[in-house]
Amino acid sequence: MKATRVFQLTALALVLVSAVQVGWWLLDQHAYTVEKVQAARASYAEQAAAAQALLDAGVSVARVEQLLPSIVVNDGRAMLAPQLAQALTSEERRRDNQYAWEGSFFLLALAACIAVIARALRAEARVHEEQESFLALVSHQFKTPLASLQLSLETLALRAPPPDAARPLIERMLADLARMELMVTQILESARLERGRVELKAEALQLAAAVARVILQLEERARSGQVAISSEIAADLNVVSDPLALDVVVRNVLENALAAVPRGGNIALTAQRANGAVQLAVRDSGVGFGPADGARIFEKFTRLPGGGNRYGTGLGLFIVRRLMELSQGSVTAHSDGPGKGATITLTWPAAAASTVAAPAAVEATVPGVEAPGAAGMAGNVTQPRASLGESRR
Amino acid sequence: MSPAAATHVLVVEDDPHLAAGVLENLRAEGYEATGAGNGEQALTWLAKHGCALIVLDVMLPGIDGLGVCRTLRERGDSTPVLFLTARGDPADRVRGLEAGGDDYLAKPFHLQEFLLRVRAIVRRWDWYRSASATAATAVLRFGDNEVDFRAFRARTWNGEAQELTEKEAMILKVLAEHAGEIVSREDLLERVWGYDVFPSTRTVDNFILRLRKRFEKDPANPRHFLTVWGVGYRFLKEGEA
Repeated sequence: MKATRVFQLTALALVLVSAVQVGWWLLDQHAYTVEKVQAARASYAEQAAAAQALLDAGVSVARVEQLLPSIVVNDGRAMLAPQLAQALTSEERRRDNQYAWEGSFFLLALAACIAVIARALRAEARVHEEQESFLALVSHQFKTPLASLQLSLETLALRAPPPDAARPLIERMLADLARMELMVTQILESARLERGRVELKAEALQLAAAVARVILQLEERARSGQVAISSEIAADLNVVSDPLALDVVVRNVLENALAAVPRGGNIALTAQRANGAVQLAVRDSGVGFGPADGARIFEKFTRLPGGGNRYGTGLGLFIVRRLMELSQGSVTAHSDGPGKGATITLTWPAAAASTVAAPAAVEATVPGVEAPGAAGMAGNVTQPRASLGESRR
Repeated sequence: MSPAAATHVLVVEDDPHLAAGVLENLRAEGYEATGAGNGEQALTWLAKHGCALIVLDVMLPGIDGLGVCRTLRERGDSTPVLFLTARGDPADRVRGLEAGGDDYLAKPFHLQEFLLRVRAIVRRWDWYRSASATAATAVLRFGDNEVDFRAFRARTWNGEAQELTEKEAMILKVLAEHAGEIVSREDLLERVWGYDVFPSTRTVDNFILRLRKRFEKDPANPRHFLTVWGVGYRFLKEGEA
């Protein structure tokens, strides 16, 4: 890394020096040519003056022209032969032209080199910066559950509480562990997604069935949080997506909504067709967010003021965005303001009804049973979070 | 401050588990403890209640811990603050102390150390308050200066009104209690900071320089805050002849 940088900087310095040299060389050549042409003109002028003197002294025109071949005599006046004068001018022009073309070619090539190297250097600096801030964020994210874990353990050690009093401490520790496990999984998952090392299938899927499956898995949590989830999705709406990606995306969005909604709140899912696409809107009556945060919530480790999901890793919605991008879809978030709820809209390419897998196959993948061909992504990403949700109660 | 507030600790931490653990332990140690999940909540609570100590997380959603501390100090609230933070590098420590914090603990921390620091801060302030409790001890007059320890205010020899920081007031208090005696830098550190928050006794020197600038007619030739080379300082009420 460091050696590469030194090499790049050296190359940049060399190219810059070369560019300066080419520039200097051009100026020098131009000056030299000008000087040469002027010298030639001066020498011709001297010859003409000499010829004139000879003529004035009575030497014959033929003799003068023989003695000074560059000179012609016209009406008794000695002057430089026109073809020579022209040759001089055109030679000067030819050289200047040559310098201009060659010089600008070299300079252009060098400028291109400079641009390439500078770009590489900038890109590298940006990657470095991102890595630094990623590391800082990750370590911060881990330190809080670690601190909580350590505090609970030391409390147990210091106070040796009776089993009844120890129970909540132990549950807290288990939840902290689950949270860290989820974070590790999600960090790896988002790193994989970021590098684009995920191959997603493009299957036609019935949206209503996929959503129903996720809701079924979160039902228990919604009940305990007294949150009503309603879903109105027409059975003929079909999307093109990877089945696991669809599952992860819907689950992450719903879990986010569940965390944002206070007791007694509600979450409504509706879907509609729009220009060759299918849109799923997940509207919640939760904490919402300010106008500036609509895009920010899909960035890594974003935690919004007053945000409900204190156990979140800050990666859930980032993973949603990446998966939607990889599925040729998109995701947007809207809120009328803090405290006014939020709507997350997921958009997939629509699939023709005839290509969709039979509903029976969809029914077969009920909660707890891994979908056929599950690459482990959905399971890994979501399981810890589900157990976290249970321990939160 | 009411007697109840003297053992009351406010815990501002957005992580519910950590907050619960800290609150339980403080209660087990005999403190009254209240939790706040974010900076706004904490400031609202503090506008109505007093407490002996604020345990303040630095990374909070909304106004962060440093902002809360700064706001408090601007309000003239001198309640001591113990910062908790996930970042423990020296630059962060300095930022916390500059914002008006009294102490700094990096996450994850040891419970015993946390409790020790809480005790140390509360004890320090207990001492300061009881040492400024009577009419005679609440006000210090020296030279033509007058210091009100309870209000953290002073009127200097040239008639200027000055606001004192808690640390300045505490140093002044320690020196005044031992007027005429030599007080070592280490003693001052121990009494005022109580812990190894600052890396060196140089900090004490800087505070003495600030006090001289505030109260000495000629800070370059101090008559009240005298340096005892190699040992510490001596405070003279009457001024050196």
